[in-house]
Amino acid sequence: MLRSILKYEWRNLVADKAIWVVTGLFALLIGYGLLNGFAWVRFQNATLATARSEEVTRFNKLKASLTAIEQGQEKFTGDAFADPRQARTVGNNKGTRYAAMPPGALAPLAVGQSDLYPYYFKVSTLNKQTFLYNNELENPTNLLVGRFDFAFVIVYLYPLLILALSYNLISAERDEGTLAMLLAQPVALRQIVLGKILLRGGIVLALAVVCSLLGAVLSGANLLEGDTALRLGLWCAVVLFYGAFWFALAAAVNALGKSSATNAVGLVGLWLVFVVVIPAALNVTVTSLSPVPSRVELIQAIREASSAATAQGNQLLARYYEDHPELLPKNTKVDTSSFALRSTAVRETVDKAIAPVMARYDRQLLGQQNLVERYRFLSPAIVAQEALSDLAGTGLDRYRHFLGEVDKFHRGWQGFFVPLIFRQQSITAADIDRLPIFRFQEEPVGAVAGRVAGGLLGLVLPVVFLVWIALPRFKHYPVTA
Amino acid sequence: MIARIARKEFTEMVRDGRFRGGALIVLVLLLSALLMGWKHYSDVSAQHTAAQRATREQWLKQEPKNPHSAAHYGVYAFKPKLPLSFVDQGVDDYVGVAVWLEAHKQNDFRYRPAQDATAVQRFSELTAATVLQLLLPLLIILLGFSTFAGEREQGTLKQLVSLGVAKRDLALGKALGVLAALAVLLVPATVIGLGALALASGPESLAMSTPRLGLLALSYLGYYTLFIAVALAVSAWAKSSRFALVALLGFWILQSLVAPRVATDLTRWLYPTPSALEFAKSVSDDIAKGMDGHSSQDERTQALERSVLKQYGAKKLEDLPINFAGVALQASEEYGYRVYDKHFGALWDRFERQNTLHQVGAIFAPLLAIRSLSMGLSGTDFAQHRHFATAAESYRRVMIKAMNDDVTLHKDADHKATSEVYRSLPDFEYAPLPLPSVLAAQVWSLVCFGVWLIGSTLAALYAATRMEV
Repeated sequence: MLRSILKYEWRNLVADKAIWVVTGLFALLIGYGLLNGFAWVRFQNATLATARSEEVTRFNKLKASLTAIEQGQEKFTGDAFADPRQARTVGNNKGTRYAAMPPGALAPLAVGQSDLYPYYFKVSTLNKQTFLYNNELENPTNLLVGRFDFAFVIVYLYPLLILALSYNLISAERDEGTLAMLLAQPVALRQIVLGKILLRGGIVLALAVVCSLLGAVLSGANLLEGDTALRLGLWCAVVLFYGAFWFALAAAVNALGKSSATNAVGLVGLWLVFVVVIPAALNVTVTSLSPVPSRVELIQAIREASSAATAQGNQLLARYYEDHPELLPKNTKVDTSSFALRSTAVRETVDKAIAPVMARYDRQLLGQQNLVERYRFLSPAIVAQEALSDLAGTGLDRYRHFLGEVDKFHRGWQGFFVPLIFRQQSITAADIDRLPIFRFQEEPVGAVAGRVAGGLLGLVLPVVFLVWIALPRFKHYPVTA
Repeated sequence: MIARIARKEFTEMVRDGRFRGGALIVLVLLLSALLMGWKHYSDVSAQHTAAQRATREQWLKQEPKNPHSAAHYGVYAFKPKLPLSFVDQGVDDYVGVAVWLEAHKQNDFRYRPAQDATAVQRFSELTAATVLQLLLPLLIILLGFSTFAGEREQGTLKQLVSLGVAKRDLALGKALGVLAALAVLLVPATVIGLGALALASGPESLAMSTPRLGLLALSYLGYYTLFIAVALAVSAWAKSSRFALVALLGFWILQSLVAPRVATDLTRWLYPTPSALEFAKSVSDDIAKGMDGHSSQDERTQALERSVLKQYGAKKLEDLPINFAGVALQASEEYGYRVYDKHFGALWDRFERQNTLHQVGAIFAPLLAIRSLSMGLSGTDFAQHRHFATAAESYRRVMIKAMNDDVTLHKDADHKATSEVYRSLPDFEYAPLPLPSVLAAQVWSLVCFGVWLIGSTLAALYAATRMEV
């Protein structure tokens, strides 16, 4: 029976030109979104390549001038700030390294938050605040609006396509008077609904999944490499179940037995609630329940701490050596007038003083994110958006992971230079090869999969719920208006 | 006759459950958005005022130190919020809240609030502007899609026309009816908005904000008028009310969701933004090698040395009556100003060209025009951010010059600036961009807005007078 329903539905759909126009438009929009995603990833990769080559050139120059000085071919005459032998000078500017988070394999599919967060830092021995907020340049108007990417098409427009195809699933048959004739055949209404949804779902979901796969492959993602295949699989699952949710919603609204026009208005209203109203309300709730203190306070705290520390100057330096006797220079006397020594001692003190303030920001931000994680289930659109950017590696989680890695690297960097500065040791050409190197460790895929699995559950459960309330209603469906 | 039609239309709508439900939701959202916006404005405003005072205190209370060290310590400029930002947050969350004014460098603004928010913020923010720009038009569509198409389906349109009612009067009456129904919603919201504005701002800024609020209200009124006209035109032209609804919803989706993002991407294709890395490199290259590419920093200093010696008729720097270090510092700063003006100027011009493109896009999507206008009048668009950034930079230059002058005046290498020198630097005062300049940045929005307003009214009248009965 189901087969013949599918067959006749297919004939109906084929005859309807509007559907093919809309579906074609949808495919075009996806293509456009993918192009934008590619362009953005290309831009990021090009920037990272420039950064790498800049670093290599700088390091070669540094090594060459150190070698020249060591071999006596050149005599250095400039001040300490320009002296390549000074540990502070090397660790702060001449020998700084980039810590970069390259775009993930699926990054072209979802721009996510990647236009807002930095994706590389120039790590130095200074405190983290000096380099952590160096953003990519971007027109704030563009940031406000956001990009047109594949994920946008999926989260916002794909539901509309589904609703356009299914808002009058049964109501149209009744409005046209064909429902009574249909049901005169030995067939249950539920079976008709199932057939109609299977066919429409088959077309739309298949299109979305095929576009996802094509997009990933065309963007050069190697499915055999690392966790790409798993991520892509999960991506397709999210796309499928998000689509299933909207089909289930349309079926449930149809089951109420109202006219096609009422269904259309009701479904558009629900779309608006899930895609616009709930996210906006959640944002307001989250920011008022767990507000992040203004960064203005942070600026003040840092300045207060640094004025206090600078005022102590020499005492601070003496105390620092008392606390770290192992860092006393071996063969020379401590040069208390050295700017490098004093500023590093001040910097260490300021870092300690503002650590609790920084920790408070992180805690509040994490608190906000946890609230979002918990309440995202109120809207499948939020669930889908978070899962898609998570899989593309353009969400908050990967960025936080990157910040963690950078923090570790930064501490290692300071650990390398600070003892050299306090021991007043010179940097040699051989030291340059021993400088720490940042290698981005991808977040373990298990963690990503775990979060996305939670999200998938948040899509499957509403589908089950909607089917559960809709099914009994189809038994009592008013066959005539 | 028109008034009678309008009254009938109004009564029918106000009695309609769908309108009541929709209007109630929109009103609740609008009022809570206004309330949140007002609270946000007063919190941030208080913080920034306090911080601005604190940064001044810190500057004044510096211990005596080398004036150049004081210039390195510098001050912060915190971006003040204009009272009307409670209606439209604009780009405020996407630009940093403060900029560090220090020696040698024109810094970028730091700490974008959006970076301290979760990803849901970028879905949609509950601000009065969101409700006014996105949800109210949807309500208009709901009210207007069946005006003609519905009457035609019910057969009442024929009766009306047979009574001798001019179709044009019918269209005008119906438009007024919808507008009156909207007024039920908008009038209380405007009154509350006005109250909030009066509470939020002192008498001085109230004088500044009131004309802006007036224009803002006028712009939104124009936006709704054009939406009503579009709805009526489509309703008159459509074969069925269902088709009218689908067409109008399609228009809403395209203009509110698709068009803005397409505009973003197009601006990036047409006027690519350089990467921060390239930008920093071209700045440092220009400073190190000279803007002409062959006058290095050292050469420039040597040339300066020669000209200063010649000016004072001295042989050696030690013989000069002034401290050459101060002159050299100031000269290198001034060279830096030229470099920064060139590069930041080019970058910001580029952003403004991108924004003009957003405005021109309004020819396809009126939302782009109203959004730009709304941000402009609320004082939260990029042009006004740039204005503040430029003011802060000018202040930095005053500060640097004061410190360098103090260096120049004292030949003693251990000279320390006193609190008198710190006090000689006036406090940073910022006067917002005047209204005519705000509007000048909105020319294309206004043009597109006008085209839409006239075009949609004509279309509505044309469609109404030619419609099939």
